[in-house]
Amino acid sequence: MADSNMTPPPAQIAANRGGIRQPAVKPRDLKGTLLRLWKMTKGSRNGLGWILLFSALASASAILSPLVIGEAVTAIDTGNSVTAILLLLAGLYLGDWFIRFLQQFLMASIGQKMIHHIRTRLFDSMKKLPLAFFDRRQHGELMSRLTNDVDNISTTISNSLTQLLTYLFTIAGVFGIMVFLSPLLTAAALVGVALIFLLTRTVTSHTKKLFSAQQQILGQLNGQIEETVSGENVVKAFCREKQVITQFEESNEALRKVATQAMIWSGYLMPLTNVINNLSYVAISIISGLLAVKGYISIGMISSFLLYARQFARPFVDIANIFNTFQTAVAGAERILDIMDETPEPPDDADALPLSSPKGDIELKNVVFGYAPEHPILKGISLKIPAGTKTAIVGSTGAGKTTIINLLTRFYDVDSGEILLDGHDLRQYRMTDLRRCFGVVLQDSALFAESIKSNISYGHEDASDAAIREAARIAGADSFIQRLPQGYDTVLTQGGLELSQGERQLLTIARAVLTNAPILILDEATSSVDTVTEQRIRNAMLKISEDRTSFIIAHRLSTIKDSDLIILLENGMIAEQGSHQELMALGGKYASMYMTQMGE
Amino acid sequence: MKLILTYIRRHIGLFATALFFLTVEAMADLLQPAFMARIVDDGVKNADVSQILRYGAIMLLIALAGAVSAVVRNIFSSRTSQLISKEFRSDLFQKVQTLSLENIDRLQPASIITRITNDVTQIQEFINGCMRILVKAPITCIGAIVLVVIQTPQQIPMLIAILAITSALIAANMKLGYPLFGVMQKKLDRLNNVSREFLSSIRVVKAFHAESRETEKFDTASYGLATASTSAMRVMAVFSPLINLTVNFGVVVLLWLSQHQNSMEIGRLMASVNYMTQILFAMGMISNILNTSVRAMASANRISEVLNETPAQKSPDAPKRPQWRAEITFDDVSFAYAGAGKEALNHISFCAKPGETIGIIGPTGSGKSTLVNLVPRFYDATKGCVRIDDIDVKQIDEEALRSAVAVVPQKALLFSGTILENLRWGRENATMDEITRAARIACADAFITRTADGYETRLGQGGVNLSGGQKQRLCLARALVRNPRILILDDCTSALDAETEAIVLSGLRRHLQDVTVLLISQRISTVRKADRILCLDDGVVQGFGPHTELMTFCPTYQAIYHSQIGGEKNG
Repeated sequence: MADSNMTPPPAQIAANRGGIRQPAVKPRDLKGTLLRLWKMTKGSRNGLGWILLFSALASASAILSPLVIGEAVTAIDTGNSVTAILLLLAGLYLGDWFIRFLQQFLMASIGQKMIHHIRTRLFDSMKKLPLAFFDRRQHGELMSRLTNDVDNISTTISNSLTQLLTYLFTIAGVFGIMVFLSPLLTAAALVGVALIFLLTRTVTSHTKKLFSAQQQILGQLNGQIEETVSGENVVKAFCREKQVITQFEESNEALRKVATQAMIWSGYLMPLTNVINNLSYVAISIISGLLAVKGYISIGMISSFLLYARQFARPFVDIANIFNTFQTAVAGAERILDIMDETPEPPDDADALPLSSPKGDIELKNVVFGYAPEHPILKGISLKIPAGTKTAIVGSTGAGKTTIINLLTRFYDVDSGEILLDGHDLRQYRMTDLRRCFGVVLQDSALFAESIKSNISYGHEDASDAAIREAARIAGADSFIQRLPQGYDTVLTQGGLELSQGERQLLTIARAVLTNAPILILDEATSSVDTVTEQRIRNAMLKISEDRTSFIIAHRLSTIKDSDLIILLENGMIAEQGSHQELMALGGKYASMYMTQMGE
Repeated sequence: MKLILTYIRRHIGLFATALFFLTVEAMADLLQPAFMARIVDDGVKNADVSQILRYGAIMLLIALAGAVSAVVRNIFSSRTSQLISKEFRSDLFQKVQTLSLENIDRLQPASIITRITNDVTQIQEFINGCMRILVKAPITCIGAIVLVVIQTPQQIPMLIAILAITSALIAANMKLGYPLFGVMQKKLDRLNNVSREFLSSIRVVKAFHAESRETEKFDTASYGLATASTSAMRVMAVFSPLINLTVNFGVVVLLWLSQHQNSMEIGRLMASVNYMTQILFAMGMISNILNTSVRAMASANRISEVLNETPAQKSPDAPKRPQWRAEITFDDVSFAYAGAGKEALNHISFCAKPGETIGIIGPTGSGKSTLVNLVPRFYDATKGCVRIDDIDVKQIDEEALRSAVAVVPQKALLFSGTILENLRWGRENATMDEITRAARIACADAFITRTADGYETRLGQGGVNLSGGQKQRLCLARALVRNPRILILDDCTSALDAETEAIVLSGLRRHLQDVTVLLISQRISTVRKADRILCLDDGVVQGFGPHTELMTFCPTYQAIYHSQIGGEKNG
């Protein structure tokens, strides 16, 4: 039919394929969000004005070509020359082509520039957020913010904006010309449009519920798939294959039922719209035929009008769809803005203290802290740790050992009380300087898909090769690195999974050694290393912890016996403290723990 | 493609019905302008109102027929595509359940999950698209061409030219565009990897103040994706308006060629103009479908990779059932993981007598877990053989084997559902008494009953609402519910504090006197009370015997002992 110049861009066709796809998620504040997006894209949207102009111009050929074709038909009918008219038509089409090409070509780079811009802005604000933010959220979800959501926003918003513009101009222009040509026929065309509106309404009201039901079952099914496949060894060990299949089949069948319904209902939209279009085509054909017989209109006009009627109805359907996707994209944008609105780690005070050569004196004064304020983990810890001493923190799981480390490194801030470093509250220092004071080895060894060398020099890119090797040697990692095919240049393509757990941990220890920081923190650093390796690490630790303040958290008490100070945490309080000998002499909880571990 | 066809063939009846009604629908669309031409030529030209009304009525009937077919087609196509996608998911999931862990390692669990979820959706959209437009576009296109030829035969050369040019354009678009889309996919993967790494290493990033380094990595990845996408889109920007222009020029040529024609056939000319625009629309659709079909093909390939995977392990032809005295023998066993050059186990021989507890100790990576994984046939020995009660495990009925051997894995894995449901994994028909007894031995009963809903407490996916130690104890209880003849404990008490661990171990010793236990640990204190201890290093047995014996004869064991207990005498 006369959609000649309305071939939608691929994205639009894809979105139309299933009729309505997903129910639009309503944005909270459409205008405000758009305004913020507009401000955010500053600097990356040069040329957007041109695109909008081209979109408006692109409607021109849609508006004018049927009129020109009608003229041509009349001319042929009456035997007049059509050359001039056809040249005009060809010119119109050429112009249309050029504008479309320019628009899409410009859009390709501007759209991507905007995506890149928003994405890096989002990443920028994300990295400044406190750890609490990341601990509360699923990583998969944050990842889809960074990739899918951003993509969606810019492509959808810019695509639907330009399309909306083209369509609005088309509707207005076509409507004007139609009324000018014949008010009666226009009325017939309007009836068709009204019917399409009604149809869309009915269908959406049905699909909304069905789609959300589908989404829910889909989530359940995906959850089942995920846990079964990633726990396959347990499934096999317990011969649960049949049961998990049965369970899966139940959800699978439920999904099929709902999805079929949803698809049927949403699928009505496209073909029925088409049918309504055909009906109004018929009506216009009959009426215009009758009018022509009476001599009220020319044959060319029938031709133009039939073409117009199509062009008039189509955008209405698409606009409904575009508005849906547009809303969903804006809602996605709001999720991104939410992240940007999160309170970042507090910036350094203007008069923040620099920390150029810290000594490492640490004092905790009545520290209270809980991840949720109503459940305090640490309930009033006071401690004095002179520079250069070794402190061990022991206690059962959940006693708050790692929490103390989280507070020292300011991953979290205390709820009340204070922590002093060299006599000043941690919060008075510049964050960068503060974190430079710590060499940290954490429970899970985080390695990156980069070379071994750059994994060790992580955060200290300027380290020389010799320094890196020395750090690896101290950590006891040098020998296994040497044995790798490319030595220090071996790229950990699987993010370290190709190494054993112990080897991974040795690399992160080397990383901490390289920082040459005055305070060392080992949070269960040796728990997954075999005991022979552990012995090596302990020797290394002894060497590097001279002149350094160090904290060791460990399950195995043998690891920490020679610490200057051992702190036994229980229920968020210090239950016992002193040296190994003192605590053994005390004969309390520590002594009994030690005995149990030694096997008697 | 072959794969998709196989599935379509299973529902060929439904599929064909949908296509039939789709064809009717397309024909209905196509016939309208032809009758419109009649209204003009027969009605208007002759000023014959009755002709106008007659053809009008026919058009109305055709429109209604189109409506009915559209409705029927929609129902059939939705059913078929959902049915097929359900079967895809089902077959994939069931196939995965039959695969050996070796296969799953190779395919990678994360990748399997995306195949069952995303790739199936891709195919479903493609199949549904097939029944909506893929077939309709060519029908419309061919039908429109035929009708143009009938209405205005002099246009044949023009049509041929248009078809040739648009096909060339579409082909060029594909040739230039697809490699670029491939590049785009790679850049997207890269961006995903960078974000994943950043998020999972956030503590390290902050501790080492490496934010700027991560930003740089992210920016580069993001920029790479933006550049790749821009070039891909630019190719589209060149070709899709060109296709438009070609068909539009067809309209101009059509009018030009018709200028001297009989004015009595003006209606036919109008119809032809209409058909041209239908061709244009169909062309746009076709180039689009080719785009989606490439994606669907890629998905189909990824799916068939899983479906064509042959389980690495074979089930025994004549399965045997041992007496379950539960004697385990390793007879010169060697094992190498698929793709790994080095052997993880090297000529291992030892025997665990019925009811004996064997401690297994050795440095990380020495092959402890690998060794025990051979007993329930998670993997098969590359050389040598593992026997239970003198029967090769490969000959034992798989289900019987795994019901008698309970494993508590290193990584505590629980499933969403209640605590009770999780424990019932051990044995479906276990009584509540048996379950609480198992939980008590595993020191789990106390914390379970302390929760608000007790055994009915719902666990999130993977047991997210429990601490590591609690998860390990539940996993242990689950294994005990099984009433196993052989129990494998793979360093499964590592998250317990020393006291609880001691209680758990002594409970196990008391209650499982006739069960053969393989106990892996890194701690001497955990294994020293075992009847005999197997000391492993680098896949080789360094010593096998009771604690006192190893302390005298096995230097590796002595080294481990001294590193843990230090120079002191036993506590």
